[in-house]
Amino acid sequence: MRKNVIYLLAGQLWKNAFRSKVMLIASVLIGILLFFSAYSGGENYHDQNDTRGSMQHEVQESWENNPDKHPHRMAHYGSFAFRVKHILSVFDLGMENFVGNAVFLEAHKQNTVNFSEASMSTGLLRFGEVSLAMLLKVIVPLLIFYLGFHTIAQERENGTLKLLIGQGIRRKEIVFGKWLGLWSLSMIFLMAVFLVLLFFVVLESHDGLSGNSLYRYLVLLISYSLFFAILCAITILVSAFSKTAKGALVKLLGIWLLFVIIVPKSLQAMGYYLYPTPSKIEMETAVEQDLIELGDSHNPDDPHFKALKDSVLLANKVDDVADLPFNYGGFVMAKGEALSAAVYQKHQRQLYRVYGKQNNVERYSAFVNPYTAIKNLSMAFSGTDFQSFLHFKGQAEAYRYKLAQEMNRLQMDLIPNKGKAGPDTISSDYWKSFPPFEYDFLSIPEVFNNELISLMALLLWGVLAIFGLLRLSTNLKAI
Amino acid sequence: MYSLLFKSFFRTKIFLVSLVLLMTVGLIGILIGKQYLVKQEKSIVAAQKFQEESIAKNVAYHSDDLGLLLYYLRFTLVKKPENINAISIGQSDVNPLLQAVTIRALEGQKYDTDFENPSLLMSGNLDLGFVIIYLFPLVLIAMTFNLYSEEKELGTWRILAAQTSGKASFLFKKLFVRVLFVFAILILLMFMASAILQIPMDQYFWALFLQSTLYLLFWSALCFWMVSLLKNSSFNALALVSIWVVLTILFPAVVNNYVINKYQVPEALDAMVEQRDGYHEKWDLEKSATMDGFFEAYPQFKKYPVPEDEFSWLWYYGMQHMGDMAAGETSKEMTEKVMLRNTVSEKVALFVPTMHAQLSFNTLAGTDMVSHLGFLKKLTEFHEDLRLDFYPKIFGNKPADQVDWKNYQVKFYTLEREVDWTYLMLPTLLITLVIGGFGVLNLRKL
Repeated sequence: MRKNVIYLLAGQLWKNAFRSKVMLIASVLIGILLFFSAYSGGENYHDQNDTRGSMQHEVQESWENNPDKHPHRMAHYGSFAFRVKHILSVFDLGMENFVGNAVFLEAHKQNTVNFSEASMSTGLLRFGEVSLAMLLKVIVPLLIFYLGFHTIAQERENGTLKLLIGQGIRRKEIVFGKWLGLWSLSMIFLMAVFLVLLFFVVLESHDGLSGNSLYRYLVLLISYSLFFAILCAITILVSAFSKTAKGALVKLLGIWLLFVIIVPKSLQAMGYYLYPTPSKIEMETAVEQDLIELGDSHNPDDPHFKALKDSVLLANKVDDVADLPFNYGGFVMAKGEALSAAVYQKHQRQLYRVYGKQNNVERYSAFVNPYTAIKNLSMAFSGTDFQSFLHFKGQAEAYRYKLAQEMNRLQMDLIPNKGKAGPDTISSDYWKSFPPFEYDFLSIPEVFNNELISLMALLLWGVLAIFGLLRLSTNLKAI
Repeated sequence: MYSLLFKSFFRTKIFLVSLVLLMTVGLIGILIGKQYLVKQEKSIVAAQKFQEESIAKNVAYHSDDLGLLLYYLRFTLVKKPENINAISIGQSDVNPLLQAVTIRALEGQKYDTDFENPSLLMSGNLDLGFVIIYLFPLVLIAMTFNLYSEEKELGTWRILAAQTSGKASFLFKKLFVRVLFVFAILILLMFMASAILQIPMDQYFWALFLQSTLYLLFWSALCFWMVSLLKNSSFNALALVSIWVVLTILFPAVVNNYVINKYQVPEALDAMVEQRDGYHEKWDLEKSATMDGFFEAYPQFKKYPVPEDEFSWLWYYGMQHMGDMAAGETSKEMTEKVMLRNTVSEKVALFVPTMHAQLSFNTLAGTDMVSHLGFLKKLTEFHEDLRLDFYPKIFGNKPADQVDWKNYQVKFYTLEREVDWTYLMLPTLLITLVIGGFGVLNLRKL
């Protein structure tokens, strides 16, 4: 292959593209959308994180400012966890608006994460949301098809393809020249988006996080470049194997509609259909049922807690719980909390396993649909996928558990048993020494691990694209 | 003439593809709606069982202390499902169908969500409404984009032009055949939905039907107008798909982003914290800090004594109520903000048939934001009724077995909504007429 010939052919494609109206209209449209989504994404990130950050701070202050009191009252006073947005949510909104943002953390009870944007939105939300990633995932692919459908088909219709070959230009050079032209053209849009994004990543990342964000940014940049390369190869292949340019266009539009709109949604719906999930009330009933069997700390005659009581009395060689060297109420609550949290977690894991199965139906389709691969990769590396949400939820629950158990421990150690002399409250210094809730994002290796399938699928598509172009290079029909 | 046009249309590949695509996806949409209804039914049964069993169990444990018993007991209010929900599931997958609440402060329980897979929420339900709003227009586009250009490109237009008297009316008839086919499928699917989902043929069903019809007429007019420009096939395909992308994806999404950013609801988080603090701080204050406010709201309970130096349920539930009072104002503001989001969206939607169709589908199916706000309002009343019913029993130290627990079954709330026919139909109708009119004007030159 001669480099200069390839560059020449690629340059020719650029010239044609810039002469066409499609490019002009598309550039203006994408320019406006780019500006709008960067602005609204940035605003949303700032406003939401500011609100949540200051709320988190406020909540911690009011926690610390509580007067001396009984530790169990503080366990009920509890705290809140507010979900912090990742800077890359400016790029890809992912599930950001469909998952909850705030959860009340109290003893005995796992509350739901509430106030998702979706729960406060109208039906319009289902049309989708505009974000930088949406432009790259949905709109630019369509544009690539618009700009590339005629590349080879039209040259053949006009007879110029025959001329090119007649002039001694090899088929391989034509195929790769056209591909390079189209890909470099699509990279204009990619670069525009990623340049804007770079500002956010560099300027806005919290201290210590910018390295992490930059790494995520690079993975996204490489993934999208590869995705575009694959799409351009598909365009060239379809164009080459279609009799007419019109035929190529109709086929490509069909591919776009199927792979971007219809297939992902249908598969997600199918997953939901195949693996039904329980409603909350059903799960709560199941949790309660399990707890009754294992031990219900609210039931005064519960055999589990009765046995526990007897063994504690025996171990401490006393006859009455009031004579124990620690607060018995605190002890029972600590055991009850451990038990109920474990049972709840078990059921929740089961639920998430079903969600995983539901999602896998679509996730594995990445091997036939590169859009699915990039969609999942993009969300994961923007910190807006389901795993990121679960990570938040997990941390919030861990904090809740730690808070409840710490209060139980304080009660055991410092509050006298019923009928014994001593203070009923403890110093507020104990509240101040309890650390605030802080959220860490998933680490990069964890994200890679979560998205192995999507990565593999995308790489496989890359190999397939090269293979397809090479095959075409040998049997491209001139007429 | 028509029989020939039908014959030639039935022989096209696109006819078969459209028929199979719309019927399969339409049927899937109906089945997904069916599954949704089954799930609703199941969770209502579970809620009834839960309530019955938990009352029985807790009454056995705490029969001597009604105040403590009611600390635990949860009472369920259900938004009565209607089968028409299944046509347009709308926001009802995000918002819970039922809420089981204790008589403690409501604010912390009101907004609890049900479990739903966020991936599914994000991709949205593949209900019949989706099929109508997204897929039907695509099929219309696929069948009409080369209505004229195909004849021109195949070279048959000249022969036709020579043989038919009215060229425009020929195109019109060709379009009519295709539109008729699409409407036939729509009608078939709607009646299948009505049969499979057992949707009563009431005004909501007919309004939904009519809205779908108008919506497809709008797309037919749009395709007709594009054809009337007499451009080539590639241009038409490109332009129509672009219009479809703008109307069904880009524009609504931009409006949605705008509305969400413009009317943010930090009040939601504020109210949650205010309720907790409003309740908890009372533990550390004089009893009068609670009771003054509580007795002002409910003077009928003044007659019950509040012991000064010890715990009493009157004081406790008073403190709980103070939590709701503290959050009341912010909570109201939050509802107003959400309502504002809805109003603005609806106003913009008047000019964009896709958005208008989606929002009115949800309204008619009773799965929109407003219907959920209605449910929340009802829940507040339900909660107050419960409290006012139990307060005197608790404060008067009645034993638990004197309460007739049979009366505390799951309660249902039936959504009431009116159909504003002009508001529903007029915007899309006007837009359709204007576009169709331009099309006819263009064809006059033919």
